[in-house]
Amino acid sequence: MPRVLTFKVNIETGKQGPNEPVNFSFNGHTMPFEKVIGSNEPDAIFEGSFDVNSFAHSLTLVGPEKGKWEIEKIRVDYECEGEKPYVVNWGAVTLDETTEVNLWQDPPVPAFDV
Amino acid sequence: MNFIKRFFSGMKQEDEISEPVKVEAPVPESAVSEPIEPEPTGNADAGAERFSDAPPAPRTVLHAPAVKQGLFPESSDGILIKAQPSSTGDQCMFTVNRVLMKDCSWYFDSFESAAESSLAESLFSIDDVETVLVCEATVTVTRKDKTLVDWTSLAKEIGTAIRNAVEEGQSLIADKIISTIPSEDVIREGIQKVIDEEVNPGVAGHGGQINLLAVKGNSVTIQMGGGCQGCSAADLTLKQGIHTSFRKAVPEVGAIFDETDHTAGLNPFFS
Repeated sequence: MPRVLTFKVNIETGKQGPNEPVNFSFNGHTMPFEKVIGSNEPDAIFEGSFDVNSFAHSLTLVGPEKGKWEIEKIRVDYECEGEKPYVVNWGAVTLDETTEVNLWQDPPVPAFDV
Repeated sequence: MNFIKRFFSGMKQEDEISEPVKVEAPVPESAVSEPIEPEPTGNADAGAERFSDAPPAPRTVLHAPAVKQGLFPESSDGILIKAQPSSTGDQCMFTVNRVLMKDCSWYFDSFESAAESSLAESLFSIDDVETVLVCEATVTVTRKDKTLVDWTSLAKEIGTAIRNAVEEGQSLIADKIISTIPSEDVIREGIQKVIDEEVNPGVAGHGGQINLLAVKGNSVTIQMGGGCQGCSAADLTLKQGIHTSFRKAVPEVGAIFDETDHTAGLNPFFS
């Protein structure tokens, strides 16, 4: 469980998007993103980040308050203490007012060529 | 700090919203324990809005499919091998840029079991190799010396052995092994039986439960639930208890995958 210094998301919305503020939940605390670019309206790209500086137990992207949010792709760039920056990509998922989607993945196990 | 600041500033905002209740006159103690009926107001909606600070209903956490990045450049013709030691250092997985065993897997627990399988034979010729698991394009090796966690030098020896075996072009896995692998139904039936009769009664004492999620070829995927999910001893239970029971009951079982999310559950631990 590393200390997350900062993380940045890039989310591609499909044909359905709520066009409302995007929130994430870190260890159960729901908050809006900072340094936001774009939106989550249909076919748009949303970018946002947050300087967390805390240990990650859970990290999720919270679904919209109303309607459906069809997500095509999610890319998350993580910077964790004592780890090389790493990127995780996820595929399609649809969120609504009852759901959230996991955004957390531990740093990859170091691999080397042999 | 930024997160902590936000968290506490969020709490402060909540405090500001909830106005203190003004008490006009001293109230007898007995009256305080009585439920207080809200006074009817002219605007019922406004009253409901004021008291709608209840926490939001919990949401279901979904898991989107992870898009895996290729370990190797696609254009390479050479035999490329990556070594990934486990976080505990007890085993190391070697991923090769070609398939070693198609649609199935095999677990070699000794040099004798490796007879006629050139890949496993060459790996067991290295002193410190204890067991070998071949699955699709990966080879997972455990070592005899459990006190060593640095795989650098052993991994290079193993990488060379894998490369040599692949380059020789002989049968990596003995034909007699391939021909003995039973159908998925037989594997499923055998594993389910050992889960029901041996494994689950054993872990039930700790509030745990093991479920068989999938069988592909002779590889099985399980999920640990109840008290096992997130338990700090789950890894030990899996490797020393469940693996042993499965292999004893169904010797043809190959890879055993655990798809449990150990960061959730009744006894979560965070490694």
